[in-house]
This record gives sequence, C-alpha cells and structure tokens, in this order.
Amino acid sequence: MVLLLQYTLIFASVLLLVALGGCVSEHSGVINLGLEGIMVMGALGGALVMRFVPYSSATAGFGERILMFLLVFLASVALGMLFSMLLAVASVSFKADQTIVGTAMNLLGTALATVVVKSMNTAINPNDHSSEISYIEPKKAFLSNIGKFELNWFVVVAVVMLVICFIMLYKTRFGLRLRACGEHPQAADSVGINVYKMRYLGVLISGFLGGLGGITYITAGVSVWKFENGVAGFGFLALAVMIFGAWHPFKIAGAAVLFGMFRALGNVYNGIGFLKDLKIPSAVYLMLPYIVSLIVLAFTSKNSKAPKAEGIPYDKGQR
Amino acid sequence: MENQYAIEMLNITKRFPGIIANDNITLQLRKGEIHALLGENGAGKSTLMSVLFGLYQPEEGIIKKDGEVVKINDPNDANRLGIGMVHQHFKLVECFSVLDNIILGVEPTTAGGILQKDEARKKVIELSEQYGLQVDPDAIIEDITVGMQQRTEILKMLYRDNEILIFDEPTAVLTPQEIEELMQIMKNLAAEGKSILFISHKLNEIMEVADRCSVLRKGKYIGTVDICNTTKEELSRMMVGRDVEFVVHKEPAKPGDVVLDVQGLTVASKTHPKDAVRDVSFKVRRGEIVCIAGIDGNGQTELVYGLSGLEPAKHGTITMCDKNITKMPIRKRSVMGMSHIPEDRHKHGLVLDYSLENNIVLQRYFEPEFTNPMGFLKKGNIRKYAERLIETYDVRSGQGPITMARAMSGGNQQKAIIAREIDKDPELLIAVQPTRGLDVGAIEFIHKQIVAQRDAGKAVLLVSLELDEVMSLSDRILVMYEGEIVGELDPKKTTVEELGLYMAGAKRTEVQ
Amino acid sequence: MKQKTPLLRNSGLQTLISSLFCIILGLLIGYLALLVINAEGAWTAITNVIKNYMTYPTAPARMKYLGTTLAKTAPLLMCSLSVLFAYKAGLFNIGVAGQYTLGAAASLFCALNLGLPWYVCLLAAIVIGAISAAICGALRAFCNVNVVISGIMLNWISLYSTNVLLQTVKESTGKDTIRLVKQHADSILPTLGMDKWFSNNQYVTIGIPIAILVAVLVWVILEKTKLGYELKATGNNLNAAKYCGMKENSNIILTMIISGALAGLGAALYYLSDIEPWNVNSSSVPGMGFNGIAAAFLGGLSPIGSIFSSYFIQHITLGGGYVDLSHYCAQISDLISAMIIYLCGFVLFFKTFINGRLDKHEEKRAHKAQALEAAQNTEGGKK
Repeated sequence: MVLLLQYTLIFASVLLLVALGGCVSEHSGVINLGLEGIMVMGALGGALVMRFVPYSSATAGFGERILMFLLVFLASVALGMLFSMLLAVASVSFKADQTIVGTAMNLLGTALATVVVKSMNTAINPNDHSSEISYIEPKKAFLSNIGKFELNWFVVVAVVMLVICFIMLYKTRFGLRLRACGEHPQAADSVGINVYKMRYLGVLISGFLGGLGGITYITAGVSVWKFENGVAGFGFLALAVMIFGAWHPFKIAGAAVLFGMFRALGNVYNGIGFLKDLKIPSAVYLMLPYIVSLIVLAFTSKNSKAPKAEGIPYDKGQR
Repeated sequence: MENQYAIEMLNITKRFPGIIANDNITLQLRKGEIHALLGENGAGKSTLMSVLFGLYQPEEGIIKKDGEVVKINDPNDANRLGIGMVHQHFKLVECFSVLDNIILGVEPTTAGGILQKDEARKKVIELSEQYGLQVDPDAIIEDITVGMQQRTEILKMLYRDNEILIFDEPTAVLTPQEIEELMQIMKNLAAEGKSILFISHKLNEIMEVADRCSVLRKGKYIGTVDICNTTKEELSRMMVGRDVEFVVHKEPAKPGDVVLDVQGLTVASKTHPKDAVRDVSFKVRRGEIVCIAGIDGNGQTELVYGLSGLEPAKHGTITMCDKNITKMPIRKRSVMGMSHIPEDRHKHGLVLDYSLENNIVLQRYFEPEFTNPMGFLKKGNIRKYAERLIETYDVRSGQGPITMARAMSGGNQQKAIIAREIDKDPELLIAVQPTRGLDVGAIEFIHKQIVAQRDAGKAVLLVSLELDEVMSLSDRILVMYEGEIVGELDPKKTTVEELGLYMAGAKRTEVQ
Repeated sequence: MKQKTPLLRNSGLQTLISSLFCIILGLLIGYLALLVINAEGAWTAITNVIKNYMTYPTAPARMKYLGTTLAKTAPLLMCSLSVLFAYKAGLFNIGVAGQYTLGAAASLFCALNLGLPWYVCLLAAIVIGAISAAICGALRAFCNVNVVISGIMLNWISLYSTNVLLQTVKESTGKDTIRLVKQHADSILPTLGMDKWFSNNQYVTIGIPIAILVAVLVWVILEKTKLGYELKATGNNLNAAKYCGMKENSNIILTMIISGALAGLGAALYYLSDIEPWNVNSSSVPGMGFNGIAAAFLGGLSPIGSIFSSYFIQHITLGGGYVDLSHYCAQISDLISAMIIYLCGFVLFFKTFINGRLDKHEEKRAHKAQALEAAQNTEGGKK
C-alpha cells in the first residue's frame, strides 16, 4: 500500500506538472498539443546532466545533493522551454495550425532525443547503438526515504508549482492579463496588452512545466530510460487531466491524483493481494489510464470551460 | 490664444490593397463638445478610429493633440494621450468581474506584481456615483445586462482619466429608454469638460445629442456642419450622396391562410438554466410580414433556432402548412418550404471556403437537378443555376461563380444568401436581421425583395433589432422580452416610444 | 473585364512550391544534424538517405529495393489518405496509428490463427479500423471529445490489445509473430507476377496497385460526389452544414469510419505481404501512422499529391537505413519527417505571403496604369 501511495504521488506529480503547463498555455490562448515532445526534451536535459556530472551517492553530502538536483532541474527546464519555442514561434508569430505543429513537435521530440542519445552512445562506444541513458546513482541525489516511503523531490516541486501557478493565474497582474489574452485577445489588445508577448510567455511557462514533468516521469520508478519510447502518451493524458480539471489548478490537482492512481496500479498490482488474485493480464493495467481518460472525457467534454479564444491565432489586423 | 481643439486629425489618408479606406480626411474635435461622426457601413469610420488608436499607420496626414503634433503607434500611446473608446462590440472579458475588466491594463499592484484591488474598487464606486453610472464592481460580465456592460466600458475610460471619449455605435444594443439614458450620460460627461466623439449612422440620435457633425462617404470627407443649422434630410444627403427614402413603399397587406402556427413553444438556453424561449404562441399568414422586435438577446435567436430545427423544442408545437413539423429534421422543413436567412451569415449562412456556386446550391445540391442517382454532382447544372441567380439578384464578385465566398463583400455575400433562399420559392421566409452591417443601397434592395415575397403570397417572419426597419417593413409587430412575447402591435398605430416600453419589459399585454 | 491571373496565383502551384520548400528545408536541417554529430561523413550520409536503393551498385539490386520501397509506400499512402480524408471533414485523425495497429492485429490474427484467405483478412482489417475510428467519431459527435486526445488514447489501447491478441500466434521462441509463408501462405497477397519486374521481390504484391486505385477513388469521392460536397462543407463550417440540413453528427462518424477503414486496409497491405512480422512486445505504435500525417500534409492534402509525398517519405525513411551506422542512426529520417510536418504548419502563412506580395504588385501596376491613362487623357484633351 505504501508503494501504491508512492507511485500514485509520483505519477500524479508528473500529470499535475504537465497539465498545469497545458493549463497556463491554454489560458494564454494557445493549445499545446506538443507537451509530449516537450516532456521528452525536458527528460533528455535532466538525463544528460545525470549522465555526465560526476556523482556518487556514497560520498555525496547534502550540499552536493542539492547541487545535483538544481542542475537536473535547470537542464530540464531549459530544454523544455527551448523546445516550446517551436510552438510559440509557429503558432503565435506565424499563425500556424496549432494541431499540426503540436503533433510535429511530439514526433520531433522523440526523434531528436533518439538521434542525440544514440549518436552520443555510439560516439562513446562504437558498438553501442542503444538509445538508453542510465542514471541509477545520480538519481539518488533527490530521493529521500521516510520509513518505507521513498520521496522523490520532484513531488515537492509539483506541489510548489501548483501553489505558484494558482497565485500567478488568479492573484497577479500577469495572470489577469494572461487570462484576458486567452478569453478575449481583442479586449486585451485594446487596453494596450501585448497579446503576442503574453502568448509567448504562456507557451514558455508550459515548456518550463512540461520539461519538469518529463524529468519527473523518467525518474519515477526506473533508473534507465530508452528515449526511443518517448513518454507513452503522458503529455496527452495530462491534457485529459486538464480538461477534467476544468482548467483550474486545484481541480487539476485532484484529477491528477485520480489518474496517477490508475497509472500506479500498473506498477504495483502484483504487490496487492486481491488484485494479484484476479489474474488480469498486465496489458489491462497498462491500458487502464487511457481507458479511464476516454470515459472521463466523454462525460466532461460536453460543457467545456475552455478559454474562449484558445486555438485561434490572434491577428492584430482582424478585428 | 488657447487652442480650442482637443484632438485633430488632419488630411488622413490610409490605403489598403485595392481600396482607399480614408482619402484625405480631416476631423477636428473641440474641447467639451459632442461631435458626431456620420457615415454608412464601409464609409471609413472604423479605419479612421483605428488610425487614431495607432492600430493602423496612415500613409499621409498628421494627428494633433491640444495643438501639438503627436505620433500614435499603438493603443498605449492613445491611452497616454487620454483617448478612450467604447467599442461597438464591447471589449470585455466575459468571465471576469466588472472591476477586473476596468483595471485590466492599468492594474494597481504591490511591488511583486500581486493585484491590489481595494483602492481600485473605491475609485470605481466614486466614479460611478459622480457620473450616475450604476454598476456592481464584483458582478461577472456574462451575468449583467447589456446596459450595465456599456456602463462598465464607460467607467473603463473614466478610470483611466481619459479626456477624449469615443462612442462607436453605442445605441445599437440598447432600448429606446436606455438610449435616452445614455444620451443624458453623454451630455453630463461633456458638461464635466470631456470631449466626446459619437460615431453613428442614426440621424435622430445625432440630431438630439451632438453639437457638430462630420460626414464621411466611401472613404472621403464630405464636410462638417453645426447641428443647430442643419436638418435630418441634409445630413442623410451628405451621408448617402442622394435623397434617401425613409419609408418602404408597400401596399396594405392582404393576409391569407395561416402558414406558420406556433403554439406554446419553449426552447432551452445553451448558457443559462432558464429557458431562452418560454411558451411562445403566434401565427403568420400568407401575404403578411410579421416582425419579431426586441433587444438583442431576448430569445429571438433561439426562437428562430427552434423554428428552423437548429435547436429542439422543449415544449409546444410548430405547424407549417397544416403539418406538425415540431420534430421534423432541418432538411425536411427546408424541402417543405421553409427558407431561412440566418442571423450570422458567416456562422450559418455560408461555407466561406466554398465557391459562390457551391454556396448557392447549399440548400438544393441533393435535388435530382444537381446530383445524379449515383451520388455524383452535376457540375454543369450547378454552374448554370448559379449564373442565373448571380444575374437575377445582381451578386457581384471577382470571378463570378468560382469566387470564394470569403473573398466577397458582406453585402454581396448577403445577396447570395437571399438569392438562394428566395429562389427556393418558399412558403415561409424567415429573415433574421437581413440588413445588418450593409450600406443603404443593399438595404433598399433587400427590403424590396422581402416586400416582393410578401406580395407574391408568401408568409414572412422578420426578426430585426433596427427599430426603423421594424416600423417601416412589418404588417404586424410581436415584441419579445426575456423569451416571451409581451405584446402585439400595429405599426401604423404605434409609436417608437410605445414599442420601446414593450421592449424594455415595462409594458405588456396579453397576446391572443 | 477578365484579367489574366498570374501563374503564381494557382493554388496547386503554390502548394507544390511550399511542399518543395518544406522538403528542402527539412533535408537541410537533417544535414545540419548530421554535421553536428560527425562532420566528416555527413555529406555521404545525407546523400545515402536521399539515394535509398540507388546506393546499390547493380541494377537488379536497385530494382529489388525499389520494389521494397514501393511495397512499403502502399500502406503509408493508405495512412496518408486516411489522415487527409478526415482532415477535409475537419477532423485531425491522429488515431490513424492505432487504427493501423488494429488492422495489423486483425489481418495477422485472421491469417495465422483462423487460417483465412487473404481477402477475408483484408476485410477484417478494414472493419476493425473502421470500428475503432467510429468510436473516436462518436465521442466527438455526441460527447464533444477532442479527436486528437481520444485518438491518442485509442492508440495506446489498440497497441496493448494488439500485443495481447497476437501473443496467440507468436513464434515459440522470440517476440515476433509467425511468418505467413510458414503458417498459412494462402493469406499472403497475390503478386500477379509483378514480383518478376522487381528482381523476384516477393513483397511486391497487388497492394501497390490497390493503394493507387484507392487514392484515385478518394479523389473522386471528395471532388465529384455529393458525399464529398457534404463532408467538406462539414469540415469547413460545421454550423453551416447543420443549418442546411446535413446530418453533421452522422457525417463526422461516417468520415471517421472511412478514414479508419483506409488505415486498417493499409495495415493489411503491409502485414499480408509478409514483409515484416509483428513484435508482440512493441512499446509504441508503428510509425507508419505518424508518417501518414507527414505525407498527407506534404501532399498538399490532395489524394494525388499524397501518392508522391508518401513515396518520398517512405523513400527517405528507408534511406535512413543506409547511413553509416558506426556514427549515425537511422532515426535521422524520423527527424526529417517530423521537421517536414512542422514546416507544413507554415504552409498557410507561406501562401498568404505569396498572395500578399502578388496583391501589392498588382496594385502598383494598377496605379501605374491609372497614372498612364490619366496622362494620356490630359494629352488627348490638349489635342
């Protein structure tokens, strides 16, 4: 049961971070379907730091652990934001179709990460054609054991981000302006708010959060990541979480915990007596989050609370 | 000598590909006056205002504020110069509160960027008392009346201490009584020293409230006159370039059999728990034009949706030509003889990325004339049919039948829809705001077509927000207020004032 | 007055130019990536990607691998038709990958487990693809669920179900399904002797002509029929379609059914040629569906254009296998395809840009002509 809680929390954190990213972007008026790709790039950033910064858990003091954590954090965020610029440039400045661009980013993220990791591995060892990075040791830097419970620091980050996002969206000048751009960009423009700038910022923040979600995902339970696999649709699950959470941070958090639990079942059902006795094939557990999200979407999409202007490129000339 | 002008736009010229939107236009606004800017749709009023707000840069001409030449690059510059505007379509974020909308863009915050709303709320309440602009700062925009939304827009300008206030067609959405109130507010504001630019094409209102009036026509500056030395007729001549008939010529109606019979119709609302149309009953006969009057948003749209089948009826029956059509699908109603000129031509009326010919057969493409039994389109017949309609109804476009609907002007798009709907030879013609946003020539054409349909023995149901149109075109008027029909009036025996009382819900009589 | 419209106004030509633009830019970025990895062999690598089977020295070998490329183009073309058909009706069928996966499951299961002839297997794949897409369509029509998200969810559900189902027809050792030729050769698509033309490449089957025929059929449906008129109207303006009495919900579902059927057929054409078995441990859906998106947009969303763009995408995807694997990896082709999809997002902007320039140009000419006319008039007046 402790294990179920632990996995639920970590997967919920992934979904929460990424869904918050989607939420901020959509509040600014841009639908971010490229979250999956952003996650992959964020994961790549963090994994590269863990691969190349020397670290040994046996000798590392608290300061070194913090340093490692910060470096991983920054690398993920940086790559996530950099990659999200692809969406911002295309959809805000060039008014490209956000669905096409988002889809392309997902494919590009996985392809790019695979090429980078493979050529890196091959360069180091000519016989190594894998797309894997292993980070067993450095990962320990940001894991703390509380009794049997293993706490990944990124869970704490997710909670902090939740609070920050809520305050940012609903209590600050920036949030008011951002939401105005997603609801009624012409109104925002008429009072002198730069809609393009706000949308760029919205997408960049989603890159920040998506990147964090990516690194959290690949450090959840495993210590080796094969980049060819991408992030298994988590970017889209996060969008389902966001829709279920009606674009509101706290409701998103609730939805993330629910979905996180279904995902966690796939990791731990073997350890839970009655589930093990049911003898359901493991593939069913793997499918569970996707099936649940389809059902949830079917019931929640009818009365959508989506920002009114999302997905519509803003054109100053057209009023 | 002190400069007498608050703002001057001198010799402004602005070109777009293919047209000159503003051709050497001069507009001078005196301090403390109410200055009307008159012109038809497409005369260049909006372009001129966009230039004033820095949304467009003019090719020629200068702008002066208090006698000094100023450069306006974006709305922020205009704001800094104290220029504010109430737009025709309100620029309000619907899910924000009144207060949030007022402070948007000039939010008071702490050093960390956290919103500080208390002081702002105090200032808004003070301003609303000072100018008699009653609002609830914490109400959400989508829950309040149009009148209150407009007051929010005015407070937005006052909160920014704007000195030059521009009202763009502010009365289109108001009842006559609310218009009266707005006129008073504008006079108060002018008396407090604000300079007001009042953009309108409604001569009565200009005559009532303005001190001076500048007229534009087809992008050109026609002249500026003092209101006390002019007449409605002169203004209208300046606006249109010829004498305009204010009345539509038509013979008295000769109503025949009942074509449409609506009994107890109720239609649910998409946005509110309350029904949008409640227990509405009326009849429309052959050879008469029945007009549904009312302020925008009182259930007219949903009533038409219910009649045409776009929304299901919750209760009640609709009978057309003695057949119960309440549950009939849209296509069947159309084939039975219902034509529908929709309220929003871009939303419902046209497939903008289809060619004109494909749009013209939108209601008939499935008929044997245009589709063979194998399901293939007969392109030759479609072309011929489209060419005939284009000719008959004078629909103008760049490349004829193959022009993309998107590339056509609003008036010609509307003509194409009207051609399509009338040429179907319907029993019942439902026309919803058929002249919205069109110039005088197109309006005259459409009015003539509607009267011709009536005289040909069709039943016509007209939904209009324009009081002039309601009074001049209809044979009977039904007034809708909050989803109900609150009165039936005879246009020959009623006045605009009385109509206004019904529209505002201040007066009602039992119908039938 | 009729004016001659400049050639550049032609929207087909504009599409062609923008597609070529996307290709060149995509390849350029691929080349840059190769340069960064290892500058020395980058040029050879990128040319190998472009050459694909032309890297073989002998003509028979080239023909053989041209055959393989064509055989793999057929399913890609089906996927791209699937994407573009749905897109014309306003639906972004990203679920094409999942429908393709289920098509693979149905065709291989029918062939290996039930021992059915090829045409029944083909039909099974079409039906299952259509059903899976219909779920997407119904969710969109009745519950307003975004098709992109439901499509992705169904992709994963399809993948895991396929893995479970095909466990039953797996080789006893290894993770792949049994080859058709060993188990039930009747399920393999007939070659009609076409294999002879391609150096006895047995994978060259009737799949290739079928795919081209279907492309033409899709074009006819979209351009010439009432159905196409309705679907495109629904895609362009859902409200207008509803207003004029089209049954917009059934149109959405019908579109998805056809789109899914195309994807399912594509999978059957691939797996029933026995060119590759299914790996029951697959951890992601085959890339064919996603490449279909690239091909659809690169082909300017035209069925005929898709034939060429599908070939191109397949050509460079296979070409990726010919890079020097001691430095590079085959996924460089995926990178290029993804880049091409990304660039296709800019096509609209590109067209608006061309048209804007043409407008300006024409206006200038009109001004000049006016001025000239005015000058002539005054001169005429003097005389």
